Amino acid sequence: MSTPAIATSGLSKDFGSGHGLFGLDLEVRQGEVFGFLGPNGAGKSTTLRLLLDLIKPTAGSARVLGLDTANESLAIRRRVGFLPGDLAMYPRLTGQVVLDFLAQLRGGVDQRVRDSLVERFGADLNRPIRQLSTGNRQKLGLVQAFMHEPELFILDEPIAGLDPLVQQSFHALLAEVSAQGRTVLLSSHTLSEVERVTHRLAILREGRLVVVDSLENLRKVAVQRLEIEFAAAVDTREFRVLPGVVDVAATGATVTVSFEGSADAVVKAAASHEVRALRPREDELEDIFLRYYRKDAT
Amino acid sequence: MTQITLRLRLPSAVSAAIGLLAVMAAVGALFPAVGHSIGKLNVPKSVDNLLGGADYGTVTGWFRSEIAIIYGPLVIGALAITGASAATAGEEEDRILALVLAYPIRRSRLVIAKAAAIAAVVLIVAFAIWIGLIIGVALAGGGITIAHITALAVQLAFFGLATGALAIALAAGTGRRSLATGLAAGVAILGWLVNSFAPLISALTWLKYLSLFYYYAGHDPLTRGIDIPSLIVLGLVTMALMAIAIVSIERRDLRG
Repeated sequence: MSTPAIATSGLSKDFGSGHGLFGLDLEVRQGEVFGFLGPNGAGKSTTLRLLLDLIKPTAGSARVLGLDTANESLAIRRRVGFLPGDLAMYPRLTGQVVLDFLAQLRGGVDQRVRDSLVERFGADLNRPIRQLSTGNRQKLGLVQAFMHEPELFILDEPIAGLDPLVQQSFHALLAEVSAQGRTVLLSSHTLSEVERVTHRLAILREGRLVVVDSLENLRKVAVQRLEIEFAAAVDTREFRVLPGVVDVAATGATVTVSFEGSADAVVKAAASHEVRALRPREDELEDIFLRYYRKDAT
Repeated sequence: MTQITLRLRLPSAVSAAIGLLAVMAAVGALFPAVGHSIGKLNVPKSVDNLLGGADYGTVTGWFRSEIAIIYGPLVIGALAITGASAATAGEEEDRILALVLAYPIRRSRLVIAKAAAIAAVVLIVAFAIWIGLIIGVALAGGGITIAHITALAVQLAFFGLATGALAIALAAGTGRRSLATGLAAGVAILGWLVNSFAPLISALTWLKYLSLFYYYAGHDPLTRGIDIPSLIVLGLVTMALMAIAIVSIERRDLRG
């Protein structure tokens, strides 16, 4: 079995007053795109900063690409591409100068790779950073994270501010690097940002790991919502008593049923009436997310 | 790293250098007209010390009081302190270091590179003061040798390096720009005051040895030349502060 790309053991960073990260045991396999999800303040960025030794753990340890983050950080950083959340660069310098500087810190990068990334994302290298929009700054952030073709990408909220076309380009790039066997750890506070590209997900809440699983498995236990438009108003009680149903809401002749597991019972109950339309709610995946947040809150 | 820091700090250093040249030329040109009429000021000893002797009747006294005691160290100290704080704690507060330190660069190397850039700024300003003094003294009618002007510029450069290192140590230790700037400036000003007032109270005379300012100007470089022991002290203080900066930034969490 190959060495995990990332392995943490009881990794903790206690900022006091209940803030921080507590006892994180996590394993990210080589070659996978791993989603790291949680609301703001859940401890995602703290974890990423710990992995790069930007901050020191108060307990526990972590290994990245088989190397210890406390003692072998320099070797780790050589092999990792990092995009921080709230990316900041020298505001008075142009993208060109900043990328030259960052490439120099790596002892040089393949100019062709860098140029192709600049072209792919449509990054503007000629204007000072302070004149760039958030999205255009983020493009430079992505170029610098990918330009040395690292084995592992640690990306904190990478699509923040990117327009949909660039997001697509970014997701295509992730698929390519994943196909090449490289690993991606991708943090986000919304599932929709990562659902298309991740193999597995971890959900973090208030500094603690809530669940790690594949999206497919998480979907199986998700609360789903089905909007059913009937020809005439129906008695919602017949849906409330069905197995797995957690909530029913009605507006006129339209009923929204929230349920866990199989949709079979709900669909069959609906079929006893005249159904004009049947619509799964678009935000079903966010419900996975919300469910795990709520679960521990109780 | 040094190069990019220098690129960011160079505009202010060059502006200061040009300003210093202009001021010193003007100060020199002014001496023949007003210097002799002012002469040696009759002021309390404390004020006399603060003004570097307050002797405006000689070219040496004129430049000591106008440039060496206040203007020169003020400009070089301000540039060293603000530059050092901005390049380290400033970039940390602005979250730039969160990106840079995710690259394969040791924090110690980063601090040394930043310090090298600030040292270059200090040397540029000290060089401008040297040139400015040569021009100014010539316009004033002469009276200070090139060797003594060089001594002042060298002592001032070492003072600037030590002051900058103090700001770097504070910035590296705390990651707070305003705290590092304020504390380093406070220590520098306190040093100037202590150097002026401590000798007036015999029981507190020893305090002057704690002042960086004493090792810069205490031996009056404009009349007595370079003072090697003072330069050694300033050099050792600079190195000790850099060591503190490196150790403290290696151990702590990056802010932001």
